Amino acid sequence: MANLNETVHQPVRLRIMAALVALEAGNEVDFSYVRDLLEVTDGNLGAHLRKLEEAGYISINKVFVERKPRTFVAATAAGRKVFQEHVAALESILKRK
Amino acid sequence: MDVTPNEAEEALAAIQTVMQKTRQSIASSGTYITLIVTGIVWLVGFVCTQFLPGEIVGYIWTGLSILGSILGTVWGFRIAKRVRSPATAATAKRVGLYWVFLVLFCIATIAVAWPLDGKQVTILIVLFAMIGHLAMGLLLSFAAVWWPLPITALVLMSYFLLPDLFYLWMGVLGGGGMIALGLYIRFRW
Repeated sequence: MANLNETVHQPVRLRIMAALVALEAGNEVDFSYVRDLLEVTDGNLGAHLRKLEEAGYISINKVFVERKPRTFVAATAAGRKVFQEHVAALESILKRK
Repeated sequence: MDVTPNEAEEALAAIQTVMQKTRQSIASSGTYITLIVTGIVWLVGFVCTQFLPGEIVGYIWTGLSILGSILGTVWGFRIAKRVRSPATAATAKRVGLYWVFLVLFCIATIAVAWPLDGKQVTILIVLFAMIGHLAMGLLLSFAAVWWPLPITALVLMSYFLLPDLFYLWMGVLGGGGMIALGLYIRFRW
């Protein structure tokens, strides 16, 4: 049976992972895109992204685009797997209802 | 870790909402830009074609086409920068080639069918452009497939039912319709 994941289950992190997993594998999105999509503050998003990065579920890529610093984030293969397992675990809880 | 069925249901609903929102926003980002820019070009160009002499209209269309291409490209690149994909460069090359070939096929069709009047040339160009947008929608993002169909229907209606007001109809309903659709996708979708 699939396991629930405590790191992923936190509401903001769950929504971050949902947004990143919705992208095609290998695609990454701008920090501001995720912030606007989820309607969270820079600080809040940054803190949750760090947690997910530390767990190995997302990758954070800081680059310069036209001499301006930009941060891109993407779900890692491990992150996608954990997220799918988490969703399966949530669905199994509902089925038992 | 304990999660109640209600919490699980809420979490799954949140996941579904965010995933849907993400996919729609990615799919619609290019679409609304294309619609608004093309709509403005059509609105100004066709309304001028209806009311102004041919020589001036030629210059207006040339200027609008150049301006529209620049605006669409710059604006599109700005939006596209928010999502980076390893496959983007290869896809962009294929998309570019597809449009080049479509333009060549359109020119060949007009040449074969010649002599044609201004309205016939216009509608053939528009129909080829709509085929192009339809193909882009089918290949790149299925959410963007539907809009060329009502625009094509409007254009055909104006060609067959209102030949005297063809250009005005194309500008106001075709161009205005595209702008409205673009704004709807941007703010309401």
